[in-house]
Amino acid sequence: MSAPVLVRNLAKAFYDEGRGEIKAVDSISFECHEGEIFGLLGANGAGKTTTLRMLSTILAPTSGTATIMGHDVVHDPEGVRKNLGFYSATTALYPRLTTRETIEFFARINQYPSKRVPERVEYLIHRFGLEKYADARIEKLSSGMKQKVSVARTVAHDPAILIFDEPTVGLDVLNALDVQETIGELRAEGKTIIFSTHIMSEAERLCDRIAIIHGGQILATDTLAGLREITGQHYLEDIFVLFVKAGQETV
Amino acid sequence: MNWELIRLLFLHEARMLVRARRTVVMAIVLPAIIMPLMLYAQKYSADRRERLLTGTIYRYAITGEFADRVRLLIDQTRKSLSDAQDDESGRLRQFRFVETAPADVRASLGKHEIQFYIETITGGEADKSRNEASNTQEAEPRRLRGVPVINVVYSGDRIASDVAHSRMLELLRLARQRDSLALLAGRGVAADAKDIFAVEDANVATAGQITGSLVGRFLTLFLVMMMLTGGAVAAMDIIAGEKERGTLETLLTSAAGRQEIVAAKQLAITSVALVITLLQGLNFFLYVRLKVVALPKNFELQLPTGMALALLLLFIPLAATIGSVLLMISAYAKTYKEAQMYFFPVYLISLVPSLASVMPGISLRSAIALVPVANVSVAAREILMGRPDVMMIGVTFAVMSVTAAYLMRASARLLSREDIIVPAHFEAAEFLGGAALFQKRVLRWFALMWVVTFAVALNVPVLATFRRQLLFNEIVVMMGATVLILKVYRLNPIEMLSLRPVRPVVWIAILFAIPSSYLTTLGVFQLVNTVMPAPQQLLERFAEDVIPKGMPTWQLLLYIALLPAVCEELAFRGILLNGLRRKLRPAGLILGIGLIFGLFHVMLYRIAPTAVLGIILTAIALMTGSVLPGMLLHAGNNALGVVLGNDLNLYVLRSWHFLAAFTIFGLSLFIIYRNRTPLPTR
Repeated sequence: MSAPVLVRNLAKAFYDEGRGEIKAVDSISFECHEGEIFGLLGANGAGKTTTLRMLSTILAPTSGTATIMGHDVVHDPEGVRKNLGFYSATTALYPRLTTRETIEFFARINQYPSKRVPERVEYLIHRFGLEKYADARIEKLSSGMKQKVSVARTVAHDPAILIFDEPTVGLDVLNALDVQETIGELRAEGKTIIFSTHIMSEAERLCDRIAIIHGGQILATDTLAGLREITGQHYLEDIFVLFVKAGQETV
Repeated sequence: MNWELIRLLFLHEARMLVRARRTVVMAIVLPAIIMPLMLYAQKYSADRRERLLTGTIYRYAITGEFADRVRLLIDQTRKSLSDAQDDESGRLRQFRFVETAPADVRASLGKHEIQFYIETITGGEADKSRNEASNTQEAEPRRLRGVPVINVVYSGDRIASDVAHSRMLELLRLARQRDSLALLAGRGVAADAKDIFAVEDANVATAGQITGSLVGRFLTLFLVMMMLTGGAVAAMDIIAGEKERGTLETLLTSAAGRQEIVAAKQLAITSVALVITLLQGLNFFLYVRLKVVALPKNFELQLPTGMALALLLLFIPLAATIGSVLLMISAYAKTYKEAQMYFFPVYLISLVPSLASVMPGISLRSAIALVPVANVSVAAREILMGRPDVMMIGVTFAVMSVTAAYLMRASARLLSREDIIVPAHFEAAEFLGGAALFQKRVLRWFALMWVVTFAVALNVPVLATFRRQLLFNEIVVMMGATVLILKVYRLNPIEMLSLRPVRPVVWIAILFAIPSSYLTTLGVFQLVNTVMPAPQQLLERFAEDVIPKGMPTWQLLLYIALLPAVCEELAFRGILLNGLRRKLRPAGLILGIGLIFGLFHVMLYRIAPTAVLGIILTAIALMTGSVLPGMLLHAGNNALGVVLGNDLNLYVLRSWHFLAAFTIFGLSLFIIYRNRTPLPTR
C-alpha cells in the first residue's frame, strides 16, 4: 500500500506585481508514513504554508502531483478533504457558534457518519476538557480555549491525516506546550501528521522525520538522528543553518 | 451537487446571520422601525403644515387706482364661496385673509407684517410700462391693450407668503370669472362663456387595468431595490465577512465542494432578500390599513392565480440573479467595508434595467426580452395590465434562468480563484498577459462592442444614416476592436485571425453553399415569422434601412456584402472563435458564437436568421480552421440579398424549394467536413 501522503515534484509559482514570477514551491517530493509526525522545518517564506495549502486543495499546484490517502489533490479534492484535518493560524473559528455547534458543524460538513456525530461531539468535548465551555460562544472564549476548540474541530470527522501549519504561532508557552502535547497524543492514536514550524525545539521534540525546506526546495529529509549523523552537528538549529548555507552556496 | 451538504451549509449560514447583531439590526429592525417612523413623521409634518396654514390669518394690502373695485370683488367672491360645493371653494373657504393699510406696502412685506399686497394697475399704466419693457426687450404675458392688471406681489422665500399668494390668485381668478359672467349678463347673454360646448372624457380601461399599469411600472423596480438592499446586508457578511474573520479558509478546507458552498450562500442571501422584501411588503400593507399611506383613487389591484404564478415564475430567477450578483461582490471584496464600497455602484446600475417598464412604448415582444431584469420589468407590467404574452414570458423565464445559473457558476469560480483567496497574488494570466489573458477577456471585449453598437445605433443622430452606421459598426467597432485586441495582447495576427489556406474542393463546396444557405436562412426566417411575426411597419423600415433606394449596385455590394463579410468574419470567426476555442467544446462554440453574432444584429426578428448564419459560418470556420471560406460565404449570402433584394417574392417559393436548398447546403457542408483541416478545440 502506498504512503498516506505522497508528494512528487510538487511546484507552485505565484505572480507578484513587484517581484514577477516567484517559485514559492520548487519541485518538492516527500512522503509521510502512517502514524508518524512529519515535520516541515523552514524559515518564514520558505514555502511551508504554500505546500500545505496545496495538500489541503486551497491552492492548485502549477505542476507535480500529491495524493492524500490515494486521492489526488487536483482530480479528487473532495476526497482529499474528507480524509484531512487542516489547522493553521489562518483557519479561524466562527465566533457566533458555540463550542458544541462548532465541533458538530465540522463533523457533519466533513461527512462523519450522521448517527455517530452526537457521540463524537461529546467525546471531543470531554477529550479536550471543554465541558465548561461547551455551550459558550467562541467569541467569549480565551485564546487558549479557542486553540483547543480549533484542534477539536480539526479532528471532528476523525480524519486519518492531520496538517498542523505553525499551530503555536502567537501562543504563550503554556498554551504552545498544550498544543504540542495534543499533537503527540494524536500520533499515539495512529494519525499521520504533517507539522510545519520554524521553531527548532518544537521540531526536535515532536517530529519523527524532518524535511528542511528553504526557498521552496526541500534540502534534506531524515530523522533527527539521521540528520545529526549526516551533518555531524547535534543541535537542530546548527543542522538547519548548515543545510541552508550549503543550499545557498550550491545556488 | 450534494443536497444534504447544501442544506447543512444553508442552515449554518442562516444561524450565523440570525446571530449577527449587525445583520438583524440593519436588515430587520431598522426597516421595520425606521420606515413607519419616517412615514408617520412625514404624515404628521404634512398634517401640521396644513393645520398651521389654515389656522393662520393672512394679512394683505391693496394699492392702486381701482383698489376699491378689487376689494369689492374679493368680498363678493368670498361670500359666494359658502354656497359652492367644489373642492377649490372648500379649500379657499378655510383660508382667512385680513386686509390692512400700511403706509409703505413694500416695506411692510419686507418686514413680514403682511404676506402679500395687491397692486392694481389701470390699462393705460400697464400699456405704458409694456412699451418701456419692450424697449428693454423684456417678455410680457399676453394681454390686450387697455386691459387693467391686478398684480399680487409676494415673497417666494417665505412659505406663508407663497401659500397666501397662491390662494389669493385662485380667489382672484374666481372673481374674474364671476365679473365676466356679470358683464355678459348685463348685456343680455345669460350663459357661462365657457359652456359653449361641454368637454368630457371616457376611459375604456377598467380600474383593474389602470391599477395594474401603475403597479406594474414600479413593481420590479421596488422588488429589485428591496432585494438588493435586504440581501446586501447578508451578502456582505457571507463571504467578505468570512474572509475578514479568517473562517473562509477553514470552510474551504472542509469536505464541502465550492459549488455546494456557493449554492448554500446564494440560497441564504436570496432567502434573506425575500424575507425582507416580504416584511417590507407587509409593512406597506399595514401602513395602507392604518391610513399612513394613501392609495390613489379607484385603486383596484386584480391578481388572478394564473397571473400571480406567472409573476412568481419570473421573480424567482430574478431573486436568484440578484443573490448571485451580491454574492459575487462579496466574494470579490477582501473585507466587509470593501464589499460595501462596491455595493453602491452595482446597486445603481442594477436599478437601470428594472426601469424598462417605465419607458413608454416598450413591449416584451422585442429585443428587451433578451435583456435580463429589464425583461422581467416589462413582463410584470404586461401581466399586471392583464395582457400577458405567454411565449415571451417563457423567453423571459429562460433568459433569467440562464443568467442566474451563469452568475452562480461565476460566483463558484470566484471562490476557486487564488488571487481572491490569497489576495497578495495575481492570477498567472492576469500577470503574464498575452494569449492566456486574451482568452479570459475576449467575452468582455465583445460585450463592450455590443453595447457600443447598440448605444450608437439608437442614440447618435450623426451616425443614423445607413452608410455612416455601417462604416462605424464594421470599421470602427469590428475592425477597430480586432486590431486593438491583437495589439493589447500581443497576438499573432495570422494565427488569431485564422488566415489559413484551405483545400480547393472547399471553395467549390462554398460556391454551392451560397445560394442554398441563403434559401435555408430565408426558410428559417419564415418559420420564425410565423411564430413571432415581425410588425409590418418594422419590416418595411428594415427593408428601407438595409437596402437604401438610389444607391448604385456596386456601392451596395461594397457596403452590404464585402465590408461585413471581411470585418465580421475577422472579428467573430477570427478573434472570438480563437478566444473561446480552448474553453468550449465544438457544439458550444458553434451555438455560442452563432448566437452572439445574431445578437449584434440589434432587432429581435433579425437575430434568429443571422444567428443561424452565424452558426453555419462558425461551423465552417471550425472545420476548415480558416476564416477565408466563411468570408466568401458571408459575402455571397449578403450579395444575394442585395441582388435579389425586394424582388424575391417569398410567397412564390414552395416548401420543396427550401427542402432542395437545405439538401444542397447539407451536401456542401458534408464535403467541407470530409475535407476538414480543423483547429484544435477543448
